[in-house]
Amino acid sequence: MNMIEFRDVSYVHRTGTTALSGVSLSIDKGETVAIVGENGAGKTTLVRHINGLLRPTRGSVLVEGKDTRETTAAALSRKVGIAFQNPDHQLFSESVEGEVRFALRNFGFAEDLATRRVDWALNFFELDRYRKSSPLVLSGGEKKRLTLGCILAWDPDVVVLDEPTVGQDALQKEKLGHIFKMLQSTGKTIIIVSHDVEFLWPIQPRLLVMAGGRLVADGEMAEVMSDSATLERARVTRPQLLRLYSGLQRRPERPFLGVDDARTWAEGGR
Amino acid sequence: MSQSLPGPVIASIKGLTFRYPDAQRPAVKDLDIDILRGEIVILAGPSGCGKSTLLRCVNGLVPHMYPGEYKGSVVVDGVSVADTPMSMLSQKVGLLFQNPENQIFMFSVERDVAFGLQNLSVPRDEMRARVDEAMRLLGITGLAQRAPHELSDGQKQRAALAGVIAMRPKLIILDEPTSLLDPQTALEVVSLIEKLNRELGITFVVVEHRLELLTPIAHRLVVMDGGAKVMDGPPEQVLSDPDVEAHGIGVPPTFELYSSLVKNGMRLEGVPDSPEALARELDRR
Amino acid sequence: MFWLSSGFIFRRVASPFGRLDPRVRLLVSIELFALALLSSDLPEAAGVIGVVLVLALSAKSLRRIGRTVALSGLFAVFIFVFNILFRIGLYFAFLYSIRFLAIIGSTSLFFLTTSPDELEQIMKWFRVPRDVVFAFVTAVRFIPVVMLDAFQIMDAQKSRGLEFEKGNLLKRVRNIVPILVPLVVNSVIRSGELAEAMESRAYGSTPKPTSLYSMKMSWLDGAVTLASLLLIAATLYIYHVGVKL
Repeated sequence: MNMIEFRDVSYVHRTGTTALSGVSLSIDKGETVAIVGENGAGKTTLVRHINGLLRPTRGSVLVEGKDTRETTAAALSRKVGIAFQNPDHQLFSESVEGEVRFALRNFGFAEDLATRRVDWALNFFELDRYRKSSPLVLSGGEKKRLTLGCILAWDPDVVVLDEPTVGQDALQKEKLGHIFKMLQSTGKTIIIVSHDVEFLWPIQPRLLVMAGGRLVADGEMAEVMSDSATLERARVTRPQLLRLYSGLQRRPERPFLGVDDARTWAEGGR
Repeated sequence: MSQSLPGPVIASIKGLTFRYPDAQRPAVKDLDIDILRGEIVILAGPSGCGKSTLLRCVNGLVPHMYPGEYKGSVVVDGVSVADTPMSMLSQKVGLLFQNPENQIFMFSVERDVAFGLQNLSVPRDEMRARVDEAMRLLGITGLAQRAPHELSDGQKQRAALAGVIAMRPKLIILDEPTSLLDPQTALEVVSLIEKLNRELGITFVVVEHRLELLTPIAHRLVVMDGGAKVMDGPPEQVLSDPDVEAHGIGVPPTFELYSSLVKNGMRLEGVPDSPEALARELDRR
Repeated sequence: MFWLSSGFIFRRVASPFGRLDPRVRLLVSIELFALALLSSDLPEAAGVIGVVLVLALSAKSLRRIGRTVALSGLFAVFIFVFNILFRIGLYFAFLYSIRFLAIIGSTSLFFLTTSPDELEQIMKWFRVPRDVVFAFVTAVRFIPVVMLDAFQIMDAQKSRGLEFEKGNLLKRVRNIVPILVPLVVNSVIRSGELAEAMESRAYGSTPKPTSLYSMKMSWLDGAVTLASLLLIAATLYIYHVGVKL
């Protein structure tokens, strides 16, 4: 079932620059999709079309079959939750608890349901001890968890993560990986915009490559990334294990997904 | 009076402990580190381990801008950081920050590159020469008249680095300089660091999470955790240590593979500095 | 927004007027501004606008300044009506409106052709304190950045269900809080980072920093200064002192 559909979408800024050009794609319910491309290639512009923050200058975007032009961004956000890169662009409440409640109030959740959702989010993201604290005093990593918690509290069908691993250390990235797996297991449609190909590689999502406002590749990550010419033109780097695999003369059928796979192969059944 | 330290040490940190005024615990504890001239050092560790504080202790923001409980000593290029004003220190140590936007103040690139020199009352002719030289080294001569909002993030980082280079420091520290850049632009910044190190002999200390970007050019990896130095040595040595992951360090996959193969007895020639190199080595066997 | 940006934000264009020393440009603009304020009859006020437009042509910005003056016409009409209501009389109501347009034009002429760098140099020349000059330049430099921040914050909050268009006045005012708080917080964070970068590049080491550029007057500047002063003197004499033509 089509969750999100882009039909020949183009977007031109008021200044005249074209940010998106002829983008067509469709994403099914429950899919995990990653979008890569250099800064300025149109990834963020694309993603802002999904919840209606931007409307196409040509073509149309449909979410669950409905054109985004027929409703507001706030309404679409009930279904499509976007976790933006900079938490400091949204934290403002007097307390962490109030911060999580904000969106729930906007979406019309009943008070007792809202309370349960707030409790769940604070517990899941290990922020309960900061419940009454100001969100502004949290550390960078905690703020990121909080913004994600705010979004999952209202349980959108689609979760969009905009550069979730920037500035995170290895332990934080590991935690993020677990959360990611949890989201996948609940059947959510997940879209992740990221430069971090090493983080994406074990997940093996469907990969969309953006360059100069166009969608230049769309397919299985391993397959898309074996096309080094396209990747080079799009200025996208390849994960180390894939580079290792490509560099081998003698190699197995499929690329290594993890260090353990590679080691087992190298030591044994060649 | 200060003279350059004899011998190869450019920065010497001894017994450094620093606590911010409203903190319960010190941000850095009993640190002893010597940085050698011409080294490229990676400083890594989990969030909150004290890396940022250490950087600021070396360039003088601690204690001049951030006073607090300060014990121990930091000597850079012959002068004690705590006892020397920022005007002098900024000519010995440069600091490049994470956000390209917030370190460019002026309305044009060349004006911004000249910023430090203006503050040091450098005469106009000399200023012009140093600004031009810095822009040439960073490859941004063509951007001289551009306004910052017309630049890409990578160009902004270069402009900021040019502004630091114009002050001719012998040591430059960078606080996660590439985390907001895309990988290709990040690689360009890394190759600039390598070039400046090679051509001008500038010592670099770089805080970075994505070690694979820097391990090809770094001489040394220092790991911090909880305010203390916990590991220090050549990158391949530190990354082979089984404890390194417990300190929140992400070991690059190529290295992790190499290191576990070697541990299990495989004989491989030299540490691979890229996945392709390891592939070639594996094919050879 | 558009009115403001088209007439008052610097545009880099090589032109004869632009080549004049910034101080001379300032002088000419001030002279026109003063004449506009003092103009006692229509020909004089219209004359000032005429001069502004001719200079705009020499600054290759005729369309921009013309557009700004035209857009200011709305305010001018308001002034006209306002004065009529106060029984000032048709002629003078009209005069005041035209005066307003002349003032806008002369101000726009200066700001459109003078870059923030030149503004900085002029301020230094007037011995404005170092910190004030720096605050001014930095403010101008970060205007586009803060605007972008504001848009991104609005996007983030819209994505949490915040509806700007709906609700009564009270609700709409309350909806500003989720925008204002992050904007202020971000500005504070930004100031902190700027302060660190400034300190690290030795800001404050001397009360009199040197300058990469210098302002040098050429013969053209001297000629324009002299000519403008003579014209001003003549105009003032003709219109306000003696000979009635």
